[in-house]
Order: sequence, then structure tokens, then C-alpha cells
Amino acid sequence: MSTTVDVAPAPHTTPEVIAHPSRVGAAVLSGGLTAALGVAGISLGIAGLFHKVASVHIGWLVPLVGVQLNLDPLGGLFVTVTGAVAVPVGVYLVGYARHEHLPRLSLAVLPLFVAAMLLVPMAGSVTTFLLAWELMALASLALVLTHHRRAEVRTAGGLYAVLTQLGFAAILTGLLVASASSGADTFAGLAAHLDRMSPGTRSVVFVLTVIGFGSKAGLLPLHAWLPRAHPEAPSPVSALMSAAMVNAGIYGIVRFDAQLLGPGPRWWGLALMVVGGASAMYGVLQASVATDLKRLLAYSTTENMGLIVLALGAASLLSSVGARDLAAIALTAALLHVVGHAAFKSLAFLCAGAVLAFTGLRDLDQMGGLARRMPTTTVLFGIAALGACGLPLGAGFVSEWLLVQALIHAPRGGDSTLALAMPLAVGAVALTTGLGVAAMVKAFGLGFLARPRSEGAAKAREATPSMVIGMTLAASVCAVLAVAPVAVGPALRHVLDTLSGIAVPNTPRLGVMLRLPGAGSMSPALLAAALAVAVLAVIALAQWGARHRPEPATVPLWACGADTLTPRMQYTATSFAEPLQRVFDDVLRPDTDVEISHYAESRYLVEKVAYRAQFTDAIEERLYRPVVRGVLAWAGWVRRAHSGSVHLYLAYGALGLLFVLVAAR
Amino acid sequence: MGWPRRIKRIGRIVESATGAPGPAVAAPTAVTGSLQIRHVDAGSCNGCEIEVSGAFGPVYDAERFGARLVASPRHADALLVTGVVTRNMAQPLRNTFDAVAQPKVVIAVGDCARNCGMFTDAYGVVGAVADVIPVDVTVPGCPPRPQDIIDSIRSVTDR
Repeated sequence: MSTTVDVAPAPHTTPEVIAHPSRVGAAVLSGGLTAALGVAGISLGIAGLFHKVASVHIGWLVPLVGVQLNLDPLGGLFVTVTGAVAVPVGVYLVGYARHEHLPRLSLAVLPLFVAAMLLVPMAGSVTTFLLAWELMALASLALVLTHHRRAEVRTAGGLYAVLTQLGFAAILTGLLVASASSGADTFAGLAAHLDRMSPGTRSVVFVLTVIGFGSKAGLLPLHAWLPRAHPEAPSPVSALMSAAMVNAGIYGIVRFDAQLLGPGPRWWGLALMVVGGASAMYGVLQASVATDLKRLLAYSTTENMGLIVLALGAASLLSSVGARDLAAIALTAALLHVVGHAAFKSLAFLCAGAVLAFTGLRDLDQMGGLARRMPTTTVLFGIAALGACGLPLGAGFVSEWLLVQALIHAPRGGDSTLALAMPLAVGAVALTTGLGVAAMVKAFGLGFLARPRSEGAAKAREATPSMVIGMTLAASVCAVLAVAPVAVGPALRHVLDTLSGIAVPNTPRLGVMLRLPGAGSMSPALLAAALAVAVLAVIALAQWGARHRPEPATVPLWACGADTLTPRMQYTATSFAEPLQRVFDDVLRPDTDVEISHYAESRYLVEKVAYRAQFTDAIEERLYRPVVRGVLAWAGWVRRAHSGSVHLYLAYGALGLLFVLVAAR
Repeated sequence: MGWPRRIKRIGRIVESATGAPGPAVAAPTAVTGSLQIRHVDAGSCNGCEIEVSGAFGPVYDAERFGARLVASPRHADALLVTGVVTRNMAQPLRNTFDAVAQPKVVIAVGDCARNCGMFTDAYGVVGAVADVIPVDVTVPGCPPRPQDIIDSIRSVTDR
């Protein structure tokens, strides 16, 4: 599809290059359309959250079944989130597309992609859902392949295409099995005729849909497309995919496995917890050793989706033992984390895009010193990184706190599954959060602070106004979520009401003070206020204490006795992550190499020490390669059957006919 | 063997403290006993280093008197310089001296640091420490005894 388009190679050209007027128009049109779709999505979603929206049936659009659109609070939440991601991305796109010369096809597909993502949660029947899903997958694939002249982009696109289509095949099979066995196409019909499905069939549908939706959400072991596709896609596309599209996977799991099929047997919840916990830990571990900024963010997406699925699994498990108060807390944590992750991850990818556009760098080892040259972007990335850390004042804090509260207050007593699963889950969340802080400190500290480590970083300049406005929009959502989650409280309560299979009316109250039934209470707003007061007090005390000190002298920086401090003396992303790499050597399996070259005169004098470390995804290496080898071997066998001989093919036809005749006798 | 029994078997090994040697120089402002010291090896044969580490070891235990070796001149009140100043170390020594906050004290330890010792007129030598940076206290000896090094530190803090 993209081969027909004239693509300007996307070098990181100097800003003096003036964009062609028609390109400017295309960028403004595409960005404006995306933002308008986002606004429409937000208003539609809010309408769906708080009011009863009439369902729409368009019979003529698809033969036999038609298109069924239906908006309930659960769909409304995801439509709102997608819309809220699309607005800043649309604004940002105006500046980004002009600067990066995005081809027209990508600019045209981008609003289509947003529309498809908005349609997925609005679908009211299996057919409509699958249509919207496939439209979303194809549009995102076209966008990933924007710069398809580069070989890495084509590899990433191929991997993404295979994984997303495999996932689609799993979802298709699962939903068709569900639809056939219950005899209904609409979701309402599925829910009404659930009793026609045997428990075995329901479990088969559960496994198939979790595999399919997991591949979209980037869960283990089908996560491999995320760290490949995100770095190669244009940054607004990465932001949309990582902040909005992966949510579609979570939506699928909540809609089908929690709402329509659920409540299921206990192992469903346990399976979700295992998959989620493993994804969270593996994702964050890879993020903490990654040196490519966008790859780091992509792995962080796997981590956060893992946490959300862990929370969903915990909700299901808690609900099955009757702790429905805690199940409601876990479910709230999952939904709030969907919202928070969308906010901070879209911001992070937009900032990474600004850095890439104005320095040409994605490698953290080459960056540095951007705080002086791109101050606004630095502050905004800091907000995103704080959100991804899960620390107070970050957008991810409240949801992670809710999750931990739900896990540690799990009822004690006879149930050994629960007694084993919950402490392990707390450990997984703790490890994930800790390593997440390390990964984000690395991304922010080494990428933006200190001195520039390369020419590109030294020549950086601030992003264009439209990009800054787009990023600021996303950052303000982050700030609201961090300090006042009360803003989304009513919406989440409406969603929980629709998920009455798991949750209870006594849902946690997300007021200014978070009060959880049967668990703790906390106030992010008071926490923020206390922190601000403490910082001001320390500054004031320091000023007061320094009032008698002499004037400060300006001296050169200490360079360990050398005359000047060079950028090579700084930490790099690789050296920062080296201890972690050692600790988790067995999981990461890094390919490291130290090469020492000596002077010709004496082998006791070292001329150069070269260190090289390469991180390949261990799961990709060990799981995917054998599968690909097997498929190739099988294809080789199949190829022997069609040798090109017409006689042989006629014989196949005759045999086939004979078989049909015998079978149908 | 548990560590309490080991302590009991070994007993007290630290040398008993002698009387304060009396002030050699005025202690830097705000130094009232504890002295943070940055050690610089300007070209020593490492004989003095062994004695310095002895002075800060468990037997002589200079930290009893408030002396501490620190990792950066930015943290230090005093410089402890050993060895002759070699050509390669002359500028780093000046830089280190500049990096210590005012007011500061320089203690030159050993004969080489005092007057170049046996390395006088050697080809790679710039001179004694006093030829490069101002020196306040000197400790003679090749190498000096740990007790002398401690006394020089105590003469700064007057403890």
C-alpha cells in the first residue's frame, strides 16, 4: 500500500528547510482532523459514561448482519481515553509533520486510525467489533511502515503484521466460537444466552481471546512487536499506538473475559495475574537496560499493561473468594491505570519525538545536555517520567497505590491459592515499580541532564510551538490525574456499575481523600501540598541560614584534577544500567564483549579498550526462532507436494473428489 | 568462632593517646576538632602511603582525633600531600589545591614532599610541594612514623 507513495526520505533536516506549502496544508488538515476526532471522541465518550446513548444499527453497511454501534460506560471510558490522546497528538502533528516531512499517505491514514480506535469500544456486536479491530490493525500497520525505505522499518513492520494478525486470528476464532455456541451476534445477546455455552467452551474462548488481546496489549510472550515497531514508527504514531491502541487489548479483556463471559473459574484470574506479573517484570527489566529512548518507552508499555492485567486478574480472583470490596479496588486500579498510562505515555512519546526531531537522536548514550537547549521539553518529559515511576505527584501513583492496597488487604485464612498469589503479586509490583524508577531516572537523567555527549545533542533547539502545545495538553492531564484523581472518580464509578459481575455497589470513593472500604486511605492532593510546603520551607530555611555567609565564589567544576571536564567522563545509559545487567544476567542474556588492543611496542601498554553490549529480547530468541524454524521446515515439506507436474495435480484433484464422494456417501 | 570471642581474645590493640602536640598553625575557620582531609600522591614511592594507611588503621586510629580521609577536595578542609611533585602531577596538584574551599591547610608528609629527599634534581621532578603550592605543616621522615603524621594533624586542630 505504501509503495505507491512518493516518500521524502526522512532525514533530520536542518530547520532552515522550508516546507512545501501543500505539505503544510496537509499537515494542518491531518492534525486538525485528528484533534477534531479526538474532541468528538471525548464528548461521545463522556455522553456514553454518564447517559444512556441509543444504540445505532446500520443494516446496509455490512451484508447479512449490519453494523451495530452501542455505547455503554465501559466503552465510553475507552472512547474518552482514545479521544483525549488524539487531541494532543493532533495538535503536535501540525509541527511534527512539517518538520519531519511525513508522507501524505501517513497523514491521511492517521485520522482513519484514530477513527478506527474510537470505533472499537463502540462496537455492539461481534462482527462490528472484528471489522473495527481489523481496520485499526491495518491502519496502524500502514503508519508503522511510514519510512519503509529503511530496512529496520520493514523488519519491524513485518513482525508487527505477523503478531497482530496472529492475534486477530485468535480473537476471530474465540469470538466466532462464542457467537456460534450462544447463537447471538450482539454483545447483549451473548450476555443473555451465556447459559448455552458449556464451561469448557467458555474457557476455550477465554484462552483464545486473552492470547489475541494480549498480543495487542503487548503482553508476554507476544510483546516482541512493541520494542521493534515503536522506535521505527513516527513519534505521534508511537504515542497513539502506545497510549491508545494497546488499551484496546485491555478493553477486549475487560469486555469479553470479565463482563460477557465472566465471572469465570478461579484459574482465569490466576492466569491473568501470572501473565500480567511476568509482563510487568520482564518489560521493566528490559526497559531498565535499554539505551534507545523509544525502545525503553515501548518496554515500559509492556510493563504497564502487565500491571493492568495483573490488577484485572487480582480483581477476578478476589471476586471468586467473595472479597468483592477489594475486587472493586483492584478493578478501579486497573481502569485508573489505563487512564494514567495513556496520559503519561502519550506525553513521553511526544517528548521523545521532539528530541528525535531536533537532535536526530534516539540513543541515550549520545544524548545529554538537553535541559539547557530544550527546557520546555525537558520539564514535560520529567512530568511523564514521574508518572511512569509510580511515585507521588506522578500520574501512575494513585492507581499503583490502589493495586497494592487491594493486594495486601486480601483476606487471610484457609485459601492457599490466595495466600500464595497475593504476596507474590505484591513482590512483582514492588520489583516493577523499583526498576521502573531506575529506568525513568536513566531516561531523564542521562538523556536530558549533564552535558551533551554528541554533536546532535549539542545543536539541539526547542520544539516548535504546536509541538509544545500538544505536549503541554498531555502534561496537564497528567498533573490532574496525579493530584486530583477525584476528576475521574464519577466516570470510574459508572464503569464499575456495568461490571457488576465482579465489583460491588460499595466502590472505593475517589474523593479529595481516597477512602477504600476495608483498606487504607490517602490523599494525593494533601500529599502534593505537603511536599510543596516542605520544599518551600527547606528553601526558606536555607536562605535564612545563609544570610551571614560571604558572597559565593565562582570556580571551575572539579574534574578529578584534570584541567577540563569532558562529556566522556559522564555516566552513560549503558554504564548506568550495568549493575542491573549483572544482577539479571540470567534473564537478559546480554551479548557483551570487551576488546583490548595493545601498542605495537609493548603488550603491557593498552592503546584502546572497546566495550560492546547488545541486548536482544531473550524471549524472542528462544521462543520465536524455534517456531519460525519449525514453520519453515514444515513449509519445505509442503513444497515437495507441489512440484509443478500437471499430472500430479490432476491426481490430487481425483483423490480429493474420491475422498469427498466416499465421505459424503 | 563468634566475633565477641574474637574481640575478647585480641583485646585492645590501639596505641594509647599521647598529649596534644600544641598548635603548629591556626586551624581553619569553623574547624573545631574534626578535620576532613584529602590525600594527594604527587609522585611518592608509596612508602608514605603505607604509613598514612597505618595512621588511619586500627592501631594508630587517627579518626579518634577527628581526622577523616575524604574522597574529593570539595569535601576537604586540608590536603595531605606525599612525595615529590612530578611533572605530570604538578598541574593536577594545583587544580586540587584550587578546588579545596577557603580557608585550607596543606600538610606535606615525608622528606620528598618537604625538600625532594633522594629525588633532588631528578629529571622528572618539578620540586618539593612548597614549590608548587603553599605548605603550612611539614612532617619529616623517610617514611615518617604514623605517630608523627597523627601529631601533624593534631597540631592543626589542636586536639
